Amino acid sequence: MDRGVLMASLGPRPAGGMQSAMAGGESYTDAEVMLRVKAGDQSAFDFLVQKYRRPLVSFMYRMARNTAAAEDLAQEVFLRVYRSRQTYEASAKFTTWLYRIATNLAVNHARDTRKERPEVMVSLDEPDEETGTTMDVADHTITAEEGLVRRERLAAIRGKVEALPERQKLAVIMHKYQQMEYKQIAEVLKLSESATKSLLFRAYETLREQLKEFV
Amino acid sequence: MRCDKIREMMPDLASGLMGASPEIGGHLAACGACAGKLEEFRRTMELLEEWQAPEPSPYFDVRLQARLREEIAKPQAGWLAWFRRPVLAAALTVLMAVGVGLFFTRSGGIYKSGDDEIAVVESQAQSAEPGTAVSDLQALEKNHDLYSDFDLLDDLEVQHDVVANP
Repeated sequence: MDRGVLMASLGPRPAGGMQSAMAGGESYTDAEVMLRVKAGDQSAFDFLVQKYRRPLVSFMYRMARNTAAAEDLAQEVFLRVYRSRQTYEASAKFTTWLYRIATNLAVNHARDTRKERPEVMVSLDEPDEETGTTMDVADHTITAEEGLVRRERLAAIRGKVEALPERQKLAVIMHKYQQMEYKQIAEVLKLSESATKSLLFRAYETLREQLKEFV
Repeated sequence: MRCDKIREMMPDLASGLMGASPEIGGHLAACGACAGKLEEFRRTMELLEEWQAPEPSPYFDVRLQARLREEIAKPQAGWLAWFRRPVLAAALTVLMAVGVGLFFTRSGGIYKSGDDEIAVVESQAQSAEPGTAVSDLQALEKNHDLYSDFDLLDDLEVQHDVVANP
């Protein structure tokens, strides 16, 4: 995850930036790219944005359960990365650092908006407030009843993951949806690897128990 | 291999992030409880797959670029920014309090220094030669109360006259 070949489409930049590095077919770790950002290479920052925008929006969406807030928080992560460029040290893996920033922001946002967040609702007639999508009951491959069941199942999944203790929820999102390794999750959460394994086992055990009616 | 070790690996095994080694496979073949649990974990993982996240909107990059431009356009925080930090403000307050405390305990305070100033003026007055303009002004200053009551002295004289010639 940390090693990225610089083949992303970057905008026009002055010579000597990431474009010339790409032309030479060089590859860099994300930490090395970040060191170029530190040295003032704006195209290196654009590269990191293009690489991590989707994973970060996805992470924030599952933490904030709201598309607009997720995008806002993901942008804030990139801004914080940019602001911290001068103090960045390549001692830790870049993604660990990135997800630590994201985790702090997401946890603070969850605490700030805890009372504002409604319970997960299921409705066939109205569009989903969080995703903006409407259940496609006109889809002839599924009946209205199947659609309702599917939507209930989705609401249950979201509700049960949301209801996990904070660290367990973070660990599940990073493991299941961000495909991160135990070691890296442990570093982000500042836990030992064995404590992280145990945390994840307990979280999945809870989800297995609480979602078994949908399995 | 023990059951607790297998269970620690179940999240990775169930989500396909780890393949079952021959050792793990051997244990699962022999232990029905672990094999059953792993199967339930797999089904739970499949269920969790249904929760998909949306793609970033087309405006994501535009908004981020705008926020980044604002960030770049912001004036660089100079040395004055340090004074806006709460910790530094608290430290400066404590320093000032300590300084004021030391001032009062060591030098005797503002009044002492005021007395010093009066002493200096008096010594200067003593050093002024009599008959000079400076000494006259100093005499006026020193006897200000007396001169301001001259009218009262006049009244006293009138009263003496009244007593003398009733």
